[in-house]
Amino acid sequence: MLLHILNRSPATSLVYRQALTAIGPEDRLLLIEDGVQGAMPQLVRHFEGLEGRLFALREDLASRGLEGHCDPAVQVVDVDGFVLLTEEADRTVSWY
Amino acid sequence: MRYAILLLGAPYSRQASHSALRFARALVARGHGLEGVFFYHDGVHNAARLAAPPQDEPHLVDGWKALNREQGVPLQVCIAAALRRGLLDEREAARHGKQGHSVEPPFELTGLGQLVDLGLRCDRLVTFGP
Repeated sequence: MLLHILNRSPATSLVYRQALTAIGPEDRLLLIEDGVQGAMPQLVRHFEGLEGRLFALREDLASRGLEGHCDPAVQVVDVDGFVLLTEEADRTVSWY
Repeated sequence: MRYAILLLGAPYSRQASHSALRFARALVARGHGLEGVFFYHDGVHNAARLAAPPQDEPHLVDGWKALNREQGVPLQVCIAAALRRGLLDEREAARHGKQGHSVEPPFELTGLGQLVDLGLRCDRLVTFGP
């Protein structure tokens, strides 16, 4: 199982599409930096099919005033949770 | 676990450096070993000796230095990426006939082989892109 890390918003960059083509059936996706915009109800449809495997970084949500506004399909983790996700994955792949 | 970080983003231009430093701190706090941070592409600017950000902003260069001082984390800077961006230590400055230098220990100019070594040696290599 791989952890994919995406730091771009699906509203401003199409790199998420490359990530989606590479994400395996067990893989997880963590949204960080501007990527956390993808956790909003208006944008989360871009990550359809990743229910239960889609995460967003709490600190980056908070710094953008978006904490508490995530779609229920997204699991919010703090930086310790980020570390835990990397522990549980075999490897990580960053998309930017 | 043994971790390494690859940092590709310039400080204060992208969030990558802040993200990487925060992740590094969390790693160490959870008891993992951070075997090295490799600065590559625009990430080499994190090693700028003369960086002087406003006092009410995080000082990234000092943040990396503190990580080295407190945890002994090697701070490895790609020499080819650094030289072409004007980031030279004393030895390289002398070799290229330049006055002054812009990189000093604990940052070390090194080759890409060190990145390969980190990738092979560590359980996890986490990249922070620009």
